Amino acid sequence: MLLSHPVRFALYLSAVIAVTLIHDPRVLLLVLAGLLLLSGSGRPALLLRAGRPVLWILLLLSSGILFMGWLTGQPVLGALLLINLRVVVLALLTAWMVRDVDLDLALVRWPRARRWLVIVRGQIQLFRRLAQDYRAAQKSRTVVAPTLQQRYQGSATIGLAALDKGVHNAEMVTQAMRSRGALHD
Amino acid sequence: MHIPDGLISPQTYLPALAVAVPLWWWAARAFTRQVGDEALPRLAVFTALAFVLSSLMLPLPGGTSGHAIGVGLLALVFGPWVAFLAYTLVLVLQALVMGAGGITALPVNALAMGFIGAWTAYLLFHLLRHVQADFAVLAAVFVSILFSALLVALVLGLQPLIAQGPDGSPRFFPFGWSVTLPAILLPHLFIGLAEAVLTLLIWRHARRRCWIPAACGREA
Repeated sequence: MLLSHPVRFALYLSAVIAVTLIHDPRVLLLVLAGLLLLSGSGRPALLLRAGRPVLWILLLLSSGILFMGWLTGQPVLGALLLINLRVVVLALLTAWMVRDVDLDLALVRWPRARRWLVIVRGQIQLFRRLAQDYRAAQKSRTVVAPTLQQRYQGSATIGLAALDKGVHNAEMVTQAMRSRGALHD
Repeated sequence: MHIPDGLISPQTYLPALAVAVPLWWWAARAFTRQVGDEALPRLAVFTALAFVLSSLMLPLPGGTSGHAIGVGLLALVFGPWVAFLAYTLVLVLQALVMGAGGITALPVNALAMGFIGAWTAYLLFHLLRHVQADFAVLAAVFVSILFSALLVALVLGLQPLIAQGPDGSPRFFPFGWSVTLPAILLPHLFIGLAEAVLTLLIWRHARRRCWIPAACGREA
């Protein structure tokens, strides 16, 4: 794709709004087919990535709609299709955007927002890594599964340690960037 | 608690966007005034922590689970305007990284959790802190979560009333307040309690480390 990242991001935002204005399941089905066609290689992975976060919500909503239809005796197929298709199309659009738009480049005109985003993303990765380390360490040192109380106590300890480490790490990075003249925005 | 994309009608998210944009602008001004380059890394860490907290599933009675929010912590440490802006970033990241929430639902989620949650926690804390600081933190966070949950339940339950097809079938979220209010509020009684305890733990740690300038030095 030859479009720049800010343009791709703007297109994504426009498409998301447009999809919420479509109320015909047949049109949404065409949009879904078009998106799958245009999104290039790696479609199954993209569909999986889009479906995973919304699967349980859709199952819950769909069973609720079917139950209401059964109770009232009214046809619900149209509403069921419309809501499911819309949520899937929007999730697919977001998954495609996440795959093909670099947010760092999309936010190039807003350096402060970009810096904040970069630090936050770095910290999220750091927290995740620390939590994984802790879980792996605990698993390797115990033969029985920890109780809920032990899990909460362990999480609190690692959480506060991670917070200290995170603050220290972020301050060091900021100081290093400042000393190299990177923060004169 | 996040509302995903596709369940909120334009009749809801466009007015919500019109309310949220000036509030974001005002919050950005407050952010520039209050947060210098020194505090930015700390804010980023707390924003990341709010992200992690809101990805953290808490076991609920009946074998289900819900997630914490984390905005109360941001409001108590950085104030409500900065917390609102920081939580908006959390919501953007959750929408774009994890697929939780969504872009069209962003203004509603940001107003319900970021704005109402932050201001409720902040005001209640300042009202109660003279009674007992720890109790103030617990009460502020617990009530702020219930207020946010109430707003989300009201917005979702409104959808079948304002967005119907010609045959009366729902075009967006299909269930009314009789379903949304108990379904969202009851689990958040437990989530609110758990998050209040978590926030107290982190708030006390932040106070010991002097990360909260107003409370720095009060720790015995």
